Amino acid sequence: MGEVTKAKLDQLRSGELSPVENVRRALERISKLNPKINAFIEVNNGAVAQAEALERKLKRGKRAGKLAGLAIGIKSNINVNGLRATCASRTLEDYVAAYDAEVVKRVLVEDGIIIGVNNMDEFACGSSGETSAFGATDNPAAPSRIPGGSSSGGGAAIAAAMCDLCLGTDTGGSIRNPASHCGVVGVKPTYGLVPRQGLIDLGMSLDQIGPIAPDVYGAALLLEVIAGKNQNECVMLDVPKTSYIDKLDGADIKGMKVGISPQFSEITDPAVMNVIDKSIEALRDLGAEIVDIELPHIEEALPAYYLIVSVEFFSTTRKFDGRKYGKRIEDVCGDEVLRRILRGRYISQKEYRGKYYQRALQVRTLIRRELMAALEKVDVIVGPTVPKLPHKLGEKISVDAMYAYDYLTIPANLAGICGGVVKAGEVNGIPVGLQVQGMVLGEEQVLRVMRAFEAVSSTTTV
Amino acid sequence: MAEERQKEIERSAEEIVESFVKAAEGLPSEREMYYSQEAYNVVRPDGKPSSSEERTEFRKRFIKIMPAKDEDGNLRVEVAKWVK
Repeated sequence: MGEVTKAKLDQLRSGELSPVENVRRALERISKLNPKINAFIEVNNGAVAQAEALERKLKRGKRAGKLAGLAIGIKSNINVNGLRATCASRTLEDYVAAYDAEVVKRVLVEDGIIIGVNNMDEFACGSSGETSAFGATDNPAAPSRIPGGSSSGGGAAIAAAMCDLCLGTDTGGSIRNPASHCGVVGVKPTYGLVPRQGLIDLGMSLDQIGPIAPDVYGAALLLEVIAGKNQNECVMLDVPKTSYIDKLDGADIKGMKVGISPQFSEITDPAVMNVIDKSIEALRDLGAEIVDIELPHIEEALPAYYLIVSVEFFSTTRKFDGRKYGKRIEDVCGDEVLRRILRGRYISQKEYRGKYYQRALQVRTLIRRELMAALEKVDVIVGPTVPKLPHKLGEKISVDAMYAYDYLTIPANLAGICGGVVKAGEVNGIPVGLQVQGMVLGEEQVLRVMRAFEAVSSTTTV
Repeated sequence: MAEERQKEIERSAEEIVESFVKAAEGLPSEREMYYSQEAYNVVRPDGKPSSSEERTEFRKRFIKIMPAKDEDGNLRVEVAKWVK
């Protein structure tokens, strides 16, 4: 299990598959499947030319970069020179990026081919992939159900094999949630590990760009390409470049301490939990020591998160005031974006004596302290990613029910730690993802556990 | 209709704020944390300026997407309609 990306890279490196042929196949698949799945907002018309340039480079005897011609989808809130960065909103529907985000530059340097721009929830405000101004995205792994969000297009594109890898963003679970619902792999890196320059913010203290892939190898490879300090950013960790793929071969978790919390099962659908329990047993069989940990305030993370993100989002959207540049956001945005703007404004106006925002920042400290204490006892924490199964596209659910999708992913964003998702199994044919959370800069351990699980997993079906 | 939608959304926005206040009652007071890491790189080193060719290219791309320009090709900024 989990050899898709490596096999494709071997084909590209050996010349069995040319970069142009790989890109053409991806474009054909997008053209065939996108009318139904709607995972891409825009296709890069320059992709074939980019692949041809790579072929010329290889013919001159130069070595291919780490991505060697893989086709990469980019979420619509990341700037790619010459392509529209709309955030799936009418506010920015005519905005064509004039520069590449730092992560895009890094992908290009390693010979990744940008195949197109992925659909998403409008301004990353959503957990279902339904709030895009360009229409909802379908879930290829569970047709007619939501793919999860906000990186809905990335999750769906990988599940439908429309491209090789995708870049998503995760503010409260926006990579991990679609990875879980679509049965693919996603990683939210430690806050400060990956540059955010060129990302159109949702919540600047929470956002991280990360990979979505068909397997752990693919996620590790793309993370390796994009991670590392950017001198021009104010809030970044100063860490040396690390190779994540080197440590994946024969990933062994014997003796690793894996934490599980009873609080996870209290808020999770029993059918989902059943799949997760079987995955935990598989980890035990691989030699991991399963340790109980307590996270008593995990439920308070959700309301604290929605206060913090609303204030940050309100602040970041003040530039979309319609002064001839884009459209005034409040005039054209969808309900969820407006809800967060109004909530942010309400909190900012009423904030006195630290009743709201300041208090939410205190709860954030509490959550971080709790997770850090747990991660001192164990190497990783595992559990469900999303507490329930994805609803049917178009089904009306309450705001609270929509926010509840993020219960288990938000704590990692508040604490700034890393987390990844790998498919654990299915309930009635619907994928369920196992979430593995690690300490600050604990990506290596997280990927090791994910890879070890992936290698033996035949995926549990309930 | 638009006003009704705004009011309904405002109401739901206020509800979650109030539910947070309730949820946070009784929780210990901690120091606020604005970012999960406190490694700010605020004094950035001076990098190498981009080449004049790169700047010219960027300018061309920017001119293509800027909302309005004057006869010399400079960005024209207008005061918003709602400013009196």
